[in-house]
Amino acid sequence: MPDIFKSSNLQKNDSELHKSQELKTIRSLPEKEIHGLKGHSHNPLAAFCYFPDHVKFVNQDPEEKVVLLLRKHPVTNIKWIFFAFIMILIPSFLPLFEFFESLPFEYITMITLMWYLFTFTFVLERFLVWFFHVSIITDERIIEVDFVHLFYREITDANIDQIQDVTVEVGGGIRTFMHFGNVVIQTAAEVPKIELEDIPGPDMVARILRDLRIEEEQEKLEGRVR
Amino acid sequence: MDELVGLNDTFFSFAKAGIILLLFIYLVFTIIVVRQTKIMTETLKVGFEVTIKTLSLIQMLMVILLLVLAVIIL
Repeated sequence: MPDIFKSSNLQKNDSELHKSQELKTIRSLPEKEIHGLKGHSHNPLAAFCYFPDHVKFVNQDPEEKVVLLLRKHPVTNIKWIFFAFIMILIPSFLPLFEFFESLPFEYITMITLMWYLFTFTFVLERFLVWFFHVSIITDERIIEVDFVHLFYREITDANIDQIQDVTVEVGGGIRTFMHFGNVVIQTAAEVPKIELEDIPGPDMVARILRDLRIEEEQEKLEGRVR
Repeated sequence: MDELVGLNDTFFSFAKAGIILLLFIYLVFTIIVVRQTKIMTETLKVGFEVTIKTLSLIQMLMVILLLVLAVIIL
């Protein structure tokens, strides 16, 4: 019998449902097998972690499972690391200034120590901004923690089923070479746009988001919405 | 000559007060950093919280040490 009674929509969604099934299978894998997945890491400083083991965040639902933890690619830190290196070297050049030489020894010591303390603070601040500026993708929503500086942070979240459009942007030589870029997510939530900046593997992230959306749609159809 | 020595003393007294004031403001800043770090580690747990908290505490302790040192040696 020809498939004329089969909905064309269903046929089209067959492969998508298959992919969604793949993700669902991964989620139900035992912990040992999840450890072998590509992109899974035990490093707490990893910029891309697929099904991370110990990630927990505030307001997380008990049944909510973290699928991805993303940070800016480590390469984006090179600029401030270089700057910090220059800052460390600066006190070695201070004796070149006559005024500095004329100061008593205690003042020279104190100024040098204070300079190193400022350098440490600068490094710590830059590191914390990188470390806490994360994007978390769970099976239910996307959470973006925008840690701009030590005194300003913004937490945005949107449900997976509110995603309207996902755009991958990879531009420039370094980004193409190191394979990182932006993933722009248009949502129907109160915050219309979530931008995951400079994240590694943007294509994979977009694919995972697509799988999650399909899975969410499937759940809705089956009436398994949480 | 005595006047010059006196001027020098005044300058260093101001310098000492300035350094101590700066370090005091810096100490307040590090206390806020410790607090913020605590809040952030509660917001997001990835298994690196102890190191992060320790680093921010080390920074605060260094400022306290430097403040004490400034009062003693300057």
